[in-house]
Parts: sequence; C-alpha cells; structure tokens
Amino acid sequence: MKILVANRGEIAVRIIRACREMGIASVAVYSDCDRDARHVREADQAIHIGASPAAQSYLRIDRIIEAATHSGADAVHPGYGFLAENATFAAACRDAGLTFIGPSPESITLMGSKTAAREAAIKAGVPVVPGNEKPFASDATDQEIVASAAAIGYPLLVKAVAGGGGKGMRTVEKPQDLLAAIQTARSEAGSAFGDSAVYLERRIHKPRHIEIQLLGDHHGTVIPFVERECSIQRRHQKVVEESPSIAVDPDLRRRIAAAAAAVARSVGYHNAGTIEFLLDRDGSFYFLEMNTRLQVEHPVTEMVTSLDLVQWQIRIARGERLDLDPDRALTPHGHAIECRIYAEDPDLGFMPSPGLIRGLRPAAGPGIRDDGGVGVGYTVPVFYDSMIAKLIAWGATRGESVARMRRALAEYQVLGIKTTIPFFLWLIEQPEYGTGEYDTTYLDGLLATRRESFSELDEREEDVAAMAAALDAYLRASTAAAGQNGSKGSGVWKQAARAEALRG
Amino acid sequence: MTFEIEIGGRTRAVAIEKSASGTYRVALDGRPHELDAARVGIYGLSLLDRQTGASREVQVTPAAVPGELLITLGGRVVAATVNGRRTGRAAADGGAGAHGEQAVAAPMPGRVVRVLVSPGDEVAVRQPVVVVEAMKMENELRSPKAGRVKAISVAPGMSVEAGRILVVIE
Repeated sequence: MKILVANRGEIAVRIIRACREMGIASVAVYSDCDRDARHVREADQAIHIGASPAAQSYLRIDRIIEAATHSGADAVHPGYGFLAENATFAAACRDAGLTFIGPSPESITLMGSKTAAREAAIKAGVPVVPGNEKPFASDATDQEIVASAAAIGYPLLVKAVAGGGGKGMRTVEKPQDLLAAIQTARSEAGSAFGDSAVYLERRIHKPRHIEIQLLGDHHGTVIPFVERECSIQRRHQKVVEESPSIAVDPDLRRRIAAAAAAVARSVGYHNAGTIEFLLDRDGSFYFLEMNTRLQVEHPVTEMVTSLDLVQWQIRIARGERLDLDPDRALTPHGHAIECRIYAEDPDLGFMPSPGLIRGLRPAAGPGIRDDGGVGVGYTVPVFYDSMIAKLIAWGATRGESVARMRRALAEYQVLGIKTTIPFFLWLIEQPEYGTGEYDTTYLDGLLATRRESFSELDEREEDVAAMAAALDAYLRASTAAAGQNGSKGSGVWKQAARAEALRG
Repeated sequence: MTFEIEIGGRTRAVAIEKSASGTYRVALDGRPHELDAARVGIYGLSLLDRQTGASREVQVTPAAVPGELLITLGGRVVAATVNGRRTGRAAADGGAGAHGEQAVAAPMPGRVVRVLVSPGDEVAVRQPVVVVEAMKMENELRSPKAGRVKAISVAPGMSVEAGRILVVIE
C-alpha cells in the first residue's frame, strides 16, 4: 500500500509517521514555498503540485489526483482543512481508483450541510438546539423571518448553512436587530462559502463545547470515544482542548456517546468523524454539527485511550473490521490537554508572525507529545494557517496534566518568530482554567479588555534578561575581536559585535 | 564594557568585566553579580550565579526588526535593545521606547475588511487599526505604539500583499 498525503504541516507529518509505523510508503505533495518543509523531507516520495497560494496547490484536486496516479499511490489521506471535507475531492479519488481515507462523498455532502445534519440528528432521536429545520428561502419575507424568530425565542443565532469557524454567524439579542443580522450573515456566507443560505437557532447561554470522536468501519460497526472538551475558544476557533471533560460524568458520557453513535449509524457513516454538542449548564446537550474528518485535536483522545486514530483510519479504509473494545474507547485513562502553537504574536492581537525559525527545541519528557510540523531553518510561510505544532500533555489526573503542560510550555523554545506559547503560559494560570469553570464565551470575554503583554516578566526576570542581553553582546564582541586576525567574518552579528566593542 | 539594555521601557546599565577565573563580574545598575556564562548553540546562554548557584537558560536572538533582540526566558519572549540601537518598529509595549513614525504592514497577503481609524486619530498602543482577512480568518492589525494616525494607504475591499504598508502612526 502507498498513501498520498494531500496536506502539509504537522498533520502531514503525523500521517507520514502512522504510515511508517505500519510499513506503508508515503507520498507528500508540496507547493513552491514548502520545498524544504518537514513533511517533504520525511515522506518516501514528494511531488510538487504548484505555486504557494493554496488555491494553486493544496486545493488543486486535478494536480493532487495526478500526483497520486503518477507516484503509484493507491490511497489518499486528506488530513484536515484544505480538501478534507470536499465531497468533489472524495469523489474524484474514487473515480480515479484511489481509496479516500475518510467517509464517502455522500456522507461529506450530507453532514456538511448544517440543516441536513440537524435533520439527520432529529431523525436519530438526538436533541438539537431549537431552531429552523430548513434555511430561509432567498425570497423569504421579513414577516416570515420575524415570526420564525419569535417562535424560537431570543437571544438567538443567525447561522450560515455552509458555515464554519464563526463565519456567517451573528448573535441577535433583540428583535429589532434581527433583519440587519440576517443581511450581514447572508453576505458574509455568500462571499466565504458561495452559499448565502442562513437559518436561526436559539443561543444557549454560556454553553460548553463537548465533542465525541467516532470511528465507523465498512461492516456496520460504529464506536464512539470518550468526549473532548473544546470550550476554550478565541473567536470560535478552538485554542486548547482536553479529554475527558470536567463537566461530564460517566453517565452523561454514555448518553452523549450513544447519541453521537446513533447519528453516525443513521447516515451509514464510516471512517473517522466527530460530532459536536453544546452542553447546557443543566446537563442537557444538543447536537451542533458533524465534522467528517480527522480533527486537529485528535491526539488528546489518543493519549487517554492509547489508540492510534490515524492508523485506524487507514485500517478501516483497507476494509478491516473495527474490532476494538468499545469500553476501552469510552473509558479515559488519565487526562490529556492540547495547546495549539501558532506562529502568531499574542501581544499584537494574535497577528500572524511568519518568518525564519532560527532555533527549535520542542518540549519532551514524561507525558509530553509534540506533534510538530516545522524545523530549524524553515521559513513559516504567509500563505497558510499559521499553526506550527501541537503540544499535548498527559497526566494521571487533570492536575497532573496541567502541571506537565506548564512545565512543557516553559521548556518549548521557538526562536526567530513569535508564537502563542506565552499566551498559553498565561492562560494556564487563570483561576477559571485551573478549576475548569469555563464555557465557550470565557476566553473572548477575558481577552476583550486585556491590553497587557502576555510575556510580562517580573523585576528579577527582567534583570536576568538584561544581563543575558549584555553578556551576549560582550561575548560576541570578544569573539569578533579574537577573530579579527585571519578568521573570516560572520556577517551581521560580527559587525554589530565590533560596533559594540568600540562603544564599550 | 558597559551596555545599556532596554527592556519593557526601562533601561538598565550593565557593566561586564571578565575575572581571572573566567567568570564575569556583572554590575546591574551598580548591583554586583558574579556569573558563569556558557554559550549553548548559536543563541543560547547558560547562566549560573556564582553566589547562589541559580541556573537560568536564556536565548538571545535577532528579531525581524533590525537592532532589536528577542530574549526568550522560561517560555516567554521580550524585546530588548543594546545601547539604544533600535530602528524600525518600536517596543511592543510602546510608551517611552517608541520613537518616530511606525508603519503597520500586512503580515500576510489578504483583503482589507475594515479600516478602524481615520487620519489624525489618536491611537493607543495595541489598539486595532485595520482588519485584514486572510485564510478565512479576520486579523486585527494593531498599532505598534501610542500616537496619531498620519496616513492610511488602503481602503476596505483592497487586496494587499505581505509587507504592504497599511497605516502610518506618528
């Protein structure tokens, strides 16, 4: 078997690792700016598929299919993002005689529509957030919309049928804001997804985001896993995930997992998928949506179950039976947390901070897993999502995994670019994070008024930093002085050091 | 040799003298320390305080901004300058360290969604000034310093390349 990995970055590296462990050959694809990327170097083969912008490379179905055929691959793993939830791509793989490691194109289409997915959940007897069962027609009258909203009740959310990542979503607190919100959501959804259909849903007050990982094989078996808690979100994007959730007891776990499995079975779902729920404060839960792919946060599930989800995806795609013990999937062993490390400057509003990685020392040691996608000497490009690694900590208890994460974050060195590591070190010290008393609105509320740096050092640490900066300049000046006779200069650093020496 | 090190808007004078035993006598604003400093790799320094034995690992890397250094210490990163040689973008914390004109440039190619300020507006450090959409995400670009908006060179709807100057703050 040979698998083409239709992705880049950490998830491509993650999939290549699974292939290697299984004795399967791997093929990477890459764009112009990714020639020296880690996934290219670690794969058995690598095929160039176009220019740096994703639309000219990682989103080019024709080029990826051609690369698969040309390289002799017989299967394609889409990772997440890019083409992972693109039914046309899944169908193109099938048509080219390639095994798509994921669900069927039909499942992707069905569950990719938020209203069709809601309908499927309702049919499977799973509660959904009260709301419209169908999107509004494009010529729906204002009266129809107003009446529909009144029936659902305020506050409510206007959501795009094709939405994701908070796009095309608006909160409406009062009836008089409804029509304007519908209009903006429609135009945003139209430009972002090419589909301006919207519907209404009641807004649950301060919910938690709980999701259930599933695997389904081609023989009718669906196995749900212990939940993941993903309530720490910044502008609807998950930032920290953990498993199990502090808010879910074994009884609730069984009920949510059974609901998730019922939805997946009702649509004949196979391979890996995740069903997202909102958990209300009173313990009731509502189907939110299904992600028909491997999720970014899959490692926390792997850490608490000791199962390899990517390897299972490959086995299922090969037609193997999902013969693992359902209790093992549903019973967490210990606790795991994941922090998504982005090349972003948290002190400048999380602005992307692409650039050259001058040094990299990932955290290691007991209970730590680093799913990295970059290396020293690599320039983080401006063209893609800026996540460079996922840091995962496991502990016997939540307290232990938090302590390990704190230790590992302080250990993790990324030099040359700004990352979100200082932000995580700050977040992990927040009292609500420590107690687990948070919901999906928590982080945005906390960040809304915050203007201080996440890297503030205390006076003694600033002293150390100042002495280090001075010693660095001193040592470079001494080296430069020693090297002035004979040895060749080493560029900017040396010139700067000489200037320092003269001034000193 | 004496260096003026500026971190977080505060300048410290650091005098360094190598002792006969190979350690460094460091006077930090006049307070004496004796440090054993070992180079680790290109950017790393292992510092041992000879009195207390306290061990610190610090990385000193050049920043994208010429003349600015990034000091990495226990997972946190602060900007520093040596002997006031800071050009380009000023201290991320603004205030006294931020002199002259500073440009807010697009860090990635994208589309301008909103311009949040007008020429002549007073802005605070880290105040959002322009929203650029890239990779389906809206990114708020913030002012690197407290000051006044001198010029705006983009309008909503415009596509911008990485590095394109959007707003100038003076």
